[in-house]
Amino acid sequence: MNEEKVGVYVCHCGTNIAKVVDVVDVATWAGEQPNVEVAREYKFMCSSLGQELIEQDIKEKGLTRVVVASCSPHMHEKTFRGACERAGLNPFLFEMANIREHDSWITDDKVAATQKAKSLTNAAIARVVHHQPLEPIPVEINPNTLIVGGGIAGITAALELADAGNHVYLVEREPSIGGHMAQLDKTFPTLDCSACILTPKMVDVGQHANITLLTWSEVEELDGYLGNFTATVRKKARYVNEEVCTGCGICIEKCPAKVLDEVFEVGMGTRKVIYRPFPQAVPKYPVIDKENCIYFLRGKCKACELFCPTEPNSIDFTQKDEILKLQVGNIILATGYDLFDVKRIPQYGYGRLKNVFTSLEFERMVNASGPTDGKIVLRDGKTPPASVAIVHCVGSRDENYHKYCSKICCMYSLKFAHLVHERIPDAEVYNCYIDMRTPGKGYEEFYHRLLEEGTNFIRGKVAEITDAPRIPAEEGKLVVQVEDTLIGRQRRVPVDMVILSPAMEAKPDSKEVSQLFKMGCDFDGFFTERHPKLDPVATMTEGIYIAGACQGPKDVPESVVQGAAAAARVAGLINRGTVMMEPVRANIDQDKCSGCRICNNMCPYNAIVFHEDRHVSEVITALCQGCGTCVAACPSGIITGAHFTNDQVFSEIEGILWDVRPEKVLA
Amino acid sequence: MSAKPTFSHEISNLMYKSHGNPTKSCIQCGTCAGTCPVAEYMDQTPRRLIGMINANLKEEVLASNTYWFCASCYHCTVRCPSQIDIAGVMYAVKRYSIWNKSYSEDLVGPAFSEAFVKIIARSGRSYEPILAPTYMFSMEPKEFVQEAFNATKMMLKGRIPVLPTRIKHIKNFQEMIRRIIPIGGES
Repeated sequence: MNEEKVGVYVCHCGTNIAKVVDVVDVATWAGEQPNVEVAREYKFMCSSLGQELIEQDIKEKGLTRVVVASCSPHMHEKTFRGACERAGLNPFLFEMANIREHDSWITDDKVAATQKAKSLTNAAIARVVHHQPLEPIPVEINPNTLIVGGGIAGITAALELADAGNHVYLVEREPSIGGHMAQLDKTFPTLDCSACILTPKMVDVGQHANITLLTWSEVEELDGYLGNFTATVRKKARYVNEEVCTGCGICIEKCPAKVLDEVFEVGMGTRKVIYRPFPQAVPKYPVIDKENCIYFLRGKCKACELFCPTEPNSIDFTQKDEILKLQVGNIILATGYDLFDVKRIPQYGYGRLKNVFTSLEFERMVNASGPTDGKIVLRDGKTPPASVAIVHCVGSRDENYHKYCSKICCMYSLKFAHLVHERIPDAEVYNCYIDMRTPGKGYEEFYHRLLEEGTNFIRGKVAEITDAPRIPAEEGKLVVQVEDTLIGRQRRVPVDMVILSPAMEAKPDSKEVSQLFKMGCDFDGFFTERHPKLDPVATMTEGIYIAGACQGPKDVPESVVQGAAAAARVAGLINRGTVMMEPVRANIDQDKCSGCRICNNMCPYNAIVFHEDRHVSEVITALCQGCGTCVAACPSGIITGAHFTNDQVFSEIEGILWDVRPEKVLA
Repeated sequence: MSAKPTFSHEISNLMYKSHGNPTKSCIQCGTCAGTCPVAEYMDQTPRRLIGMINANLKEEVLASNTYWFCASCYHCTVRCPSQIDIAGVMYAVKRYSIWNKSYSEDLVGPAFSEAFVKIIARSGRSYEPILAPTYMFSMEPKEFVQEAFNATKMMLKGRIPVLPTRIKHIKNFQEMIRRIIPIGGES
């Protein structure tokens, strides 16, 4: 029999546990188990008094092992390990039994819950006697940070970190940073010019000594762990030599080929084949769209090269994609969002009825540097609409598409209404909404401003948009059919232009991105934060942070807040320089290893080396993440995972099955 | 649970076979009423009717003509963002009002529906010469003559059968109906 002295502490967690589990019974029962020196129950074990209780018992009763039956180890394992450490006990001689999330919160059955609490506590007692003292492993944090996505969230994070003196690699998929914010005209509710507030930040990023800007690039692979990541980045060929190009733009002017700009102008305007997405693009170097370039298609043209004034010539048709290996300590993902494809709702007629626009199309239209120079006109390019309907909740709050509220549509729809009033004072504007959601500083005031401006608000989700008239007044118009729920009548509103406000949705490749960065994404494709309230920018993977709309629908201020928050989290780690990692690592018994090499290829972290001379494998502790794959794979069973030894795991299983009679198992 | 279910519970119970969400999940967006092709003939819009069901306004709901005017086009069901089977709600209220004999007397809908269901249950096919009289006598004389004239023409062209037809294996069909349709009241 083991000589260890175990202390067991059962927590009430207020009424969270005690309401369902008979904690007094569990504690009394635990006190009678072998090896248990003392067993107590207490209202809040995590309180200072609760922790002192443990410390006191360790000192006075000479406890050598501690078990706390309370909440999830995610919450308080650290707390209780700290208590053990303060009393001079190795923190790894502690074990936690989760009788809250795994027990009291999932049932109302008091008898069964109490029984399960006993099983879980018993498993912890049985396990903890086999625990061994371990020492945490120090890990150096590489001070460089990789930021993926150059929208407003990524830009903010990059500037915060770079200004604090840390090096940042900012990787952006498109030829310029700026993201969706660069496409907007005004920002609600203050109506600041979006470009005017964004471009200074973009210029800062472009010129910052601490920022390596990698546009037209994508992360392809990621290896490593907190503090020591290696990212493989593909820098796509621009066919423009960035070292000599001055960004004068003559090549763009001279290029003879024009194509529809599907990305920045969302199909509303054209661009040249050698292009900068917009005049204030950062970096200023253009990029050649290989798919449409006359030279790449037919082997002739080279107008850009001919007119390029730099010496040597900046145009380089022989450029190849470059693969860069970046060594970074932390990663911030700010990959942003996409708009819902409104063609999925056929009754709104987008694509079929030509004067139905999406919100981003309208943004480009009202933008002074957009395809219509800021004039609000129908698709014919000249007629200003006399009446406009704005449709809220297109694909949001709808079980058929996205259940969630996209949060920003109410506000930008109000902004659109204002812009129409401003540019076409006589126009009638109809906002069709389900509920007006304007929580935010100055947002409700903006709604009232629109009420005063004479916008027609119709409370009702638009049923359909049609061009089939029923009465002469509807002739040649788009008819918005909607129930005005406040008067309880169906209305048919004839208008010239309809603007749809589509839902914000996750990028179509967000699932692959989440796999690449080894962290979670939810059912809708948004990245999952570590804790929805208390840890909104961290992920379940250490060293990987998220910011902006890739985590969920967000407006500009919130994206900025998250970008800065993620930067602060990373800066904290960089400042510490070294962090202590759990010493849960695999170890190969060098004397017994047969050198079969089965484990070598199994390791997902490439942490196992094979010594040819001695014909044995060895785990590199710094690389090992303690996943346990090799432990399970070893045919000789001589790889041990620290804190997960066979003894520990088997006795835990035996402990949990204490009340199961053998014949029950067989049956 | 209280001993006596509320009106909205009763309607929910009648909808247990449909796959939609309960009426309680309605967000009152008005998609159904905006979509409905016959909304202008209804005294309450479908959205309001659902609101009234949720508020347990039993008398007002049953006195409404809304559910009798439903054309069963199912457009509302398809578009409902809360995935409520709204056409199913209309049928549930129809059944409820027939079983409780609590519909307004001036409507042709109840008699028509009852005759239609009975004919189908008996023979498996609709037979207009029996069905038509359930509503034809409520018409204006001029309309009645026009309708009779149309019916005669259709009969001559073979569009309306002269004698009632019957499907094969009618016993099996009736057994199916007994299992599918929740039978309540006395009918």
